[in-house]
Amino acid sequence: MKILKEEVIPVKGIPVVAGFRWSVGELMDRFIKELGNKKILGAKCSKCNYTYVPPRAWCSKCSAKMDANNLVELSGRGVLVGYTTAYVELDGNGNFRDLEKPKAIGAIKLEDADSTIFMPLIDVEPEKLKEGITVKVVWQEETKGQISDIKGFKPEK
Amino acid sequence: MMREKVAIIGYAQSYHQANMPMTREDMVFEVAKEAAKMAGIEREDIDTVINATNDYYEGRTISELFLVMPIGAYLKDYTKVEMDGANAVFYGMLKILSGTHDIALIVANTQGSTFNPHQISVYTLDPTFDRQIGVLNDISAAAIQARVYMNKYGISEEEAAIVSVKNLGNAAKNPHAHRRMPGISLEEVLSSKLYCDPIRELTMSPISDGAAAVVLASEKKARELSDCPVWIKGVGSCQDSYIRDRKLYKLEGLEAAAKKAYQMAGIKNPFAELDAAEVSERYAHEELMIYEALGFCEEGRGGTLIDSCATFNDGQLPVNPSGGALSADPITATGLIRIVEATMQIRGEAGAHQIPGAWRVLAHGQTGICAQQNIVFILGGEE
Repeated sequence: MKILKEEVIPVKGIPVVAGFRWSVGELMDRFIKELGNKKILGAKCSKCNYTYVPPRAWCSKCSAKMDANNLVELSGRGVLVGYTTAYVELDGNGNFRDLEKPKAIGAIKLEDADSTIFMPLIDVEPEKLKEGITVKVVWQEETKGQISDIKGFKPEK
Repeated sequence: MMREKVAIIGYAQSYHQANMPMTREDMVFEVAKEAAKMAGIEREDIDTVINATNDYYEGRTISELFLVMPIGAYLKDYTKVEMDGANAVFYGMLKILSGTHDIALIVANTQGSTFNPHQISVYTLDPTFDRQIGVLNDISAAAIQARVYMNKYGISEEEAAIVSVKNLGNAAKNPHAHRRMPGISLEEVLSSKLYCDPIRELTMSPISDGAAAVVLASEKKARELSDCPVWIKGVGSCQDSYIRDRKLYKLEGLEAAAKKAYQMAGIKNPFAELDAAEVSERYAHEELMIYEALGFCEEGRGGTLIDSCATFNDGQLPVNPSGGALSADPITATGLIRIVEATMQIRGEAGAHQIPGAWRVLAHGQTGICAQQNIVFILGGEE
């Protein structure tokens, strides 16, 4: 509750603590489970060839419907198409937190995919980042079939 | 071309600021009352009310339940638009054109100080993937967009920073702006706190509390009530794809929205035919991308255009004489403030930031990460 500047009385409010249960759909379910086998799946439209990652059950480019037959395995290699280095992050409660060690973030187009994914970049020096370099997926030591199995991407030597 | 015309006959905006002592209800009461007063109408004369807010920013769901009383909307036709307020103007215009209503009150409001809107931007992302990966928010996304755009076209950080110098300097003459910085230097902008390279404190919009309101009227009512109606000459809006499946180096959706608005207003060469533009640039580099999408220059030439000083207040096409979103950004109200500012310019009521002879002015609003949704209005004085 805001009274005057700098004078804040806490009341129950946001952030809402709620466990939302989003249905992910069949293709996303497969995508998440296959991460456990260190595989990245995409969905390739059989009509226009646009390839979505993560997979979608519909093609927004040509309105075709897709299903498990459209799933394709991607190589886990890709090209860096954009990047930034974050010096500040949000703590989840609305506060900015200065990072002791800046974090590099990459916009990546995976080989044979059209979507751009946004991923942590690992083992990179910010000044060496540039578009066009090849990057590859880095998995967690133990993969469990969950989104966090992807640790990030790193430049290919 | 529209068969019937719709005019803006009243407007108001708050004194946007970081931490308004006024409550949200007091804030909307003030702007709604002031806009109606200017239009010369009472609550009874208003047929329909449209309010643009966002429940997440407000920190309550169905957030209009408390708002309908201070804006006088109870026992009236009322709808909420959960997008930028400029979309509420489009909606109100259509209600009037449908013939079912004559006078519409549009109000948009956000108090960014309620809860950090950058944190809220995370909740607009795909919850089953991007939110889990955890690297994106509106600032990091804008930083990636800035890098993609600037690297593709060889645009420097200095060129983007000139946008901040221009807008924050312009804001010094606008009493309603939140971040007013007379004499701000390029060095000051480039040495401000770095959030996500190249986005800095002074190349991103501030977190603002603010509200705006306009009164729309049918042609008949406008001529009855106002001696200085500002006409909606054209409007276009466009929603782009989610950030994973769209171009990052250009604002393709804004380009489509502008094309529609220009066509409706009969504009062929916007750079030559417009007198000023008020745009919603949440980040400095975004204004350069907006120039390109609005056809003020060729693709990739946004840096060259700002270098030429053409968009400064004494240039050929002043952009954001008010200071734009970089000077005040009460999200959802920001686009409506642009419409208010464009209206002030046309009526010659912009005071110290008046562009002499402004008669045809563009106003732009946006919603979502990296300006996913865009809306463009062309406003004009009596022909």
